[in-house]
Amino acid sequence: MIKYIFNKIIFLIIISGFSSASLFADYVRISQIDSSRLLLSQEVKVYVSVTNVEGEPVGKLMQDAFTLYESPDSRNFTKIPDITGFQSMANYESGINFLLLIDNSGSMYRNMKGARTKNESDKRISHAKKALITFLKSISNPKDTVGLAVYNSYYTLFSGLTGDKAKIEDYLDKIMQPNPDEAFTEIYSSIYTAVDEFSSVKGRKAIIVLSDGRNQPYYKYTRKAHKTLGTKIFEYAEPAKYCQEEGVSVYAINFGPKSERKDQGLSKIALQTGGSVFDAFDPRQLNDVYNKIVNQILGEYLISYPATMEPADKKYVKVECNTATGLASAVRFYFSSTVFGLPLTKFNFLLVIPFLLAVALLWLLSNIKFEKKRSDPSIEVLNPGSAKASTNFFTLDKNKKTIIGGDPSADMTLSGGATKIKEKHATVAFDKVKKQYTIVADGNLTVNNKPVKTKLLEPGDVINVGGTTIVFDDGEVDK
Amino acid sequence: MSTLMRRIFLCIIGMLAGLAAWPFAETTLLFQAGFPSYLVFSVFLGIIFGLIMGGFFGTSDGIIMSVKSNIISGAVFGILVGIVGGAIGFLIGQAALFIIGDMLIHSAKSFNTIGFPISRAVGWAFLGVFIGMIDGVRSRSLDKIKVGIIGGIIGGFLGGLALEYSRLVIPGMLFARLIGLLVFGLLIGFAYGFVENRLSFGVLRLLNGKYKGTEFLINQKKMKIGSSEKNSIVLLGYDKISDTHAELAIKGDNVVIKKASPKTIISVNDDKVDEHELIMDDVVEIGNAKFLYKFK
Repeated sequence: MIKYIFNKIIFLIIISGFSSASLFADYVRISQIDSSRLLLSQEVKVYVSVTNVEGEPVGKLMQDAFTLYESPDSRNFTKIPDITGFQSMANYESGINFLLLIDNSGSMYRNMKGARTKNESDKRISHAKKALITFLKSISNPKDTVGLAVYNSYYTLFSGLTGDKAKIEDYLDKIMQPNPDEAFTEIYSSIYTAVDEFSSVKGRKAIIVLSDGRNQPYYKYTRKAHKTLGTKIFEYAEPAKYCQEEGVSVYAINFGPKSERKDQGLSKIALQTGGSVFDAFDPRQLNDVYNKIVNQILGEYLISYPATMEPADKKYVKVECNTATGLASAVRFYFSSTVFGLPLTKFNFLLVIPFLLAVALLWLLSNIKFEKKRSDPSIEVLNPGSAKASTNFFTLDKNKKTIIGGDPSADMTLSGGATKIKEKHATVAFDKVKKQYTIVADGNLTVNNKPVKTKLLEPGDVINVGGTTIVFDDGEVDK
Repeated sequence: MSTLMRRIFLCIIGMLAGLAAWPFAETTLLFQAGFPSYLVFSVFLGIIFGLIMGGFFGTSDGIIMSVKSNIISGAVFGILVGIVGGAIGFLIGQAALFIIGDMLIHSAKSFNTIGFPISRAVGWAFLGVFIGMIDGVRSRSLDKIKVGIIGGIIGGFLGGLALEYSRLVIPGMLFARLIGLLVFGLLIGFAYGFVENRLSFGVLRLLNGKYKGTEFLINQKKMKIGSSEKNSIVLLGYDKISDTHAELAIKGDNVVIKKASPKTIISVNDDKVDEHELIMDDVVEIGNAKFLYKFK
């Protein structure tokens, strides 16, 4: 018991470095926003977790402890006048998605007191693996999923989320000691990356970080650009904010000896995201990690309200919770873009012009006449087929014969037809008695798909010479 | 009008529809905050948008075939169908946008360049389906509805993408939405023309007279030909043509032409026929009008 109280005191000393205001404050986290009924009923559901300084859920809060706001820009929030639904112990049946993030820096290969050791089982990494196996075994909901990643100077994902816990245990064996170049501890950037990888996952999300030391950015200590981060050095606030936005809670398990300074930033991330910090030396605490997270989720509040109609691609929801320790708040967003997107800033009367212009142009289109006027009699190539025609259109002359053939001096010269084209293949002439044009064939040809030697031509007759389709028209137009 | 011209006209009418719908869309969007819910807002915007798009697309057949009375009746019917189609299309489009947007917004840092355009495009594609269907419903033709759905999906999807990408290139919504709507209309028209051609059973090309060169797409399973404006193929300005003179019907993959009544006369390749299965390059004579049958 004395040891337990001592741990608490140590813990409080650690977090007292944050700020006096946050010393005993409760934390609010929006773990999920469900906007699936937004279109049909305008309803938005918010799952809110309220935790105390030890990461335990704060229960028995009433509806009036919560105030909701919405904002189209994350700056100007409007109070939601009516909360339409309120439920404590929101029974969330689908599982929790855990990402295990293990420190694989050089120091994890020392013993728990920080000394070098050749005995594998003494090494911190072995203890960490054991702790994770304990955690995996304590998972009781088959819908829970687990993923595995390690970090040192770099972040490496070993396994995406899976329901197969045995697979994760197998992966634990594959974690190898890093090279000296990889031995830095990029805690903050790795959590940030983990949240990013996690962001497409729906539902409850928790990252469990096993760490034995402080954030030691590669660039800060080597002054060499990091291969993915370059010269950027992450502050703890960046992953903390990203976790809040994505509803991820962070649970930290500290593996460093008590005398070593723990990473304050990591503790802050855990607290601010509604998670907590566990001490790896206390087996009771380790065994309790899973239950604590589950209890926290069972202790969530479900608040429903009608969404505002302010145009925005993303709508920010702020939940303010008034607990015994004061006011705490959290912000998350949901997708709210409409099919046509955001409106203009103000109405412009010039907008009338495009409509009038469109109507006028349509009217113009409708008045275009596609009618042909009466014209001179002609023959026209509709489809040359494989042949090449010297002209596609030829106006007929009543007083002259028109020659269609292969000869260059013909009126319509066709070369390279599918069948042989004679020099003077066909002649079109005006029959003055019948007052009609007549075609006289020298070679093989068809008119309206019938082989002919001679034929009086009707308007629209289709002449085929060696595969070339030619249409005759007398140019007359019916009234 | 040739099939190429027909396609160009459909594109132009589509763009004009987009241009005309734009100011109404902008004005409605300005009042979004005043609507009681996303449901009412979507239905209202859908009605306004469908009304304009439907009205414009409804005129296309009449304009292309130069039949004035069909322009007016087409527009009126297009408006009615557009109102229904727009409202349904917008609702489904909005639902799709919410679902996909919600899935993607948390998943990618590149949401603005990939996730958002895709969400938007899917929403627009659903809208396009219902806008594209307008002309088919108007002419009570299942085949045209099919054509419209395909055209609408393509046009809607690409129009939505155009809106998002032009928003990335030109900051501010003003011209992005105009560009998006123009592309939407243009592509629905284009896709409609393109798909219509592909799905048609052939073309009858007029070889003589007042409308020489006009190509009639055989795009429905049953089409009537005659001088009355009720027919699918209206032949004005040709002598010896009855109100309803001939009928085209699809049997299997083939087009059959037959007399609409015992009194009318039709010839194929200069032979009088009652009924005839058309093959490529057949010359069909209906009254004084002569056509060449082309298989696509």
